[in-house]
Amino acid sequence: MNRKLFRTGIVGAALAAVVLYACSKGGDGDGSGAANNDAFKTEMLTNYADNIITPAYTNLQAKLGLLETSVNAFLATPSTGTQATLKTAFKDAWLGFENVSAAYFGPGAAVLLNSYINTWPAVPAKIEAGIQSGTYNFTIPVASDSIQGFPTLDYLLFSADAVQKFADAGAANRRKYVQDVVTRIKSLVDNTLNQWKGAYRTTFVSSLKTDVGSSIGALINQFAFEMDALKGPRIGWPFGKQSNGIVFADKCEGYYAGFSADLAIANLTSLKNYFKGGAGKGIDDYLILLKKDKLNSDVLAQFDVALNALKAIPAPLSASFTNNATLVEAAYKEVQKLLTLIKTDVASATAVQITYMDNDGD
Amino acid sequence: MTVTKLHAAGRPVSITPLVTFRIVFGWLMFFSILRFWWRGWVTTVYIQPEFHFTYWGFEWVQPLGSIDMHVLFACIALSALCIAIGLWYRVAAIVFFLSFTYVELIDLTTYLNHYYFISLVAFLLIWLPANRHYSVDVWRRPQLRRTEVPAWTIGILRFQMAVVYIFAGIAKLDADWLLHAEPMRTWLPSKSHLPIIGKYMYATWVAYLFSWFGAVYDLFIVFFLLNKRTRLVAYGFVLIFHIATAIFFPGIGMFPYVMIAASLIFFSGQFHERLLSHLPFYKSMAQAPVKQSAYQFRWSRPMMLAVTLYVLAQLLIPMRFLAYPDRLFWTEEGYRFSWRVMLMEKSGAAYFTVKDSTARYGYAVNNSEFLTPLQEKMMSTQPDMILKYAHHLAREYKKRGVQHPEVYGEIYVSLNGERSRLFIDSSVNLAQQQQGWQHYNWILPYKLPVTEQK
Repeated sequence: MNRKLFRTGIVGAALAAVVLYACSKGGDGDGSGAANNDAFKTEMLTNYADNIITPAYTNLQAKLGLLETSVNAFLATPSTGTQATLKTAFKDAWLGFENVSAAYFGPGAAVLLNSYINTWPAVPAKIEAGIQSGTYNFTIPVASDSIQGFPTLDYLLFSADAVQKFADAGAANRRKYVQDVVTRIKSLVDNTLNQWKGAYRTTFVSSLKTDVGSSIGALINQFAFEMDALKGPRIGWPFGKQSNGIVFADKCEGYYAGFSADLAIANLTSLKNYFKGGAGKGIDDYLILLKKDKLNSDVLAQFDVALNALKAIPAPLSASFTNNATLVEAAYKEVQKLLTLIKTDVASATAVQITYMDNDGD
Repeated sequence: MTVTKLHAAGRPVSITPLVTFRIVFGWLMFFSILRFWWRGWVTTVYIQPEFHFTYWGFEWVQPLGSIDMHVLFACIALSALCIAIGLWYRVAAIVFFLSFTYVELIDLTTYLNHYYFISLVAFLLIWLPANRHYSVDVWRRPQLRRTEVPAWTIGILRFQMAVVYIFAGIAKLDADWLLHAEPMRTWLPSKSHLPIIGKYMYATWVAYLFSWFGAVYDLFIVFFLLNKRTRLVAYGFVLIFHIATAIFFPGIGMFPYVMIAASLIFFSGQFHERLLSHLPFYKSMAQAPVKQSAYQFRWSRPMMLAVTLYVLAQLLIPMRFLAYPDRLFWTEEGYRFSWRVMLMEKSGAAYFTVKDSTARYGYAVNNSEFLTPLQEKMMSTQPDMILKYAHHLAREYKKRGVQHPEVYGEIYVSLNGERSRLFIDSSVNLAQQQQGWQHYNWILPYKLPVTEQK
């Protein structure tokens, strides 16, 4: 064998290997600036961080401040009058949550925000037991999900004889429980927002990949997850989709206060806003960049169809499950169509991954 | 095969390519298994799921408990190590082949072509005298040492490599790959984070370049590796191609490294002699006298028959898709075990409903109750997995009190950048459908999109 050729070949190949390997390592966006190779993706992610997600958490934080004031006013003098004022603040805060629900990754996911503050239905028996004994722990994942958060406040503040119960002998414990739940929601949201305002923003903005844990991957996977939650827990399950047509009206989000439909509409409206990136660059613009204009316009159109189908259901949703089943069924179908578009067409077009596992191409 | 060719297949050649192959394969497998374990996949893939998509005919292959499963992985790692150093070689090769293949047979979800390749190579290694030089076995019993082996023992490994590459190349001779540059056109824009080259990832011509280069590489690399004059340059291409694959598609895992390592088998005896001479103790071991230089198989005629059958099987298995109607990428009937790597972007959304035959309503299935996200993703686009899952749902809902469960799937699939559409007949009760090698009539026919919808 020609020794010179041998050496050149090996050295050349090794050099190529080293350069390529170095490239791959340098690709892990670490916010050093040099990693920002894609101006569009950077602009899009910056838009999500600065104009959508952080403002949504800031808004939620403000609404929670107002909620706390109203809750304290109600607890001081429980009456149907203070309860009505409280309901407005409560609704505003919960609607505010629907705007951050789709940002369940990074800091939100790290503190299990959505699980802790919006797992429904709440479990009254466990809540009452906690109130009675005065001992409860809100920091156990899964197990404590259904004894805190908005659904628990919904039960405690707006169930049938709620006002009455705050006048009872054991009301001190009940008042403390409500205050603890509010404090807990506030601290989780504060924590999440602070991380977004701090180091996480840079991490988010400079993550230009599409694998699991990347910003684009997280955004799109969370769309699908939220849409699935809209189809299942928000509408389908209470409607009886999982129970052979038997309606479980009390399993819907916001059952006691009776604004389930508003929450669902706010959730989907917020998802549409996320998809569009508000007024700035969003997933919609990314699809156009990828020359998927038709897909993009179809998704946007389907958002409107699904939203209109939801809005067509008369309030309260819990009653419409039985009284307007056709309308609920129609909305369910349209949400499923939207979910399909996101989960297949959009996920494929943007090449986002759902797991870290090795995969040799479908 | 003519008598002269048979004779040529049996002619003695240097054992060194086989020795390098054994060492490199063993170490690579050892580290792959450690990597798999380190990433926690033993638990997430084999312990956490409540249901596994077994291979048809291998339903008895089930995961063991958490501890036993880890012990099994330790067995694989240890046997790989034994193969590498050539200790109790044949036993190690058998243990490795059986335990590795057992693990791979547990769940269709994690089927990868290179796992299949590893199983095949491990099977071949059982029969090959790769420990007869520079091994612990030879150090302990010097009389085992041989310097030459029948040419076919190296030829069969080269043949295996050729099968992988050439079938992978033939698979790329497809309109989507060559004319539409799919799925590269879909995948590359997601690589725009790469330095220097990142900014070209949106350009269509780059997708075509990748597609055509990949097809040409796969089709012809073996011939350049076989030719002595082009071999070195060809190996340079092997390195560049597979390292590039590893960078662009990190999700592909160990595949590039397996191919880089295994391609060494194409080099000559002299080359391997020189390569091995850099290793510790090699020179002293190579200088020891040998009683008998050439390794001979005791049953060489049955062996040749077995090798011929193996070769035929390797040529036929990837072609079996021809026996099925409709588009292979859509139905995936005959897709596995055929060296189809990174060929398509396919994703699906699967909604199942279980209904009692007498009931008006049904139960919408929450897939995450039964499957991991990876299992759900894989199931949504592969008909045999859909059917297995449907049968599982029928069993589960029967336990929950549905007397005569009927299972219906509303499944949408998007293939290679086309818009999603219905994949199977939603009115067919999947619980009634049989598993088997026949074509599944309940898969809706693949139709070319009427208009080019993007």
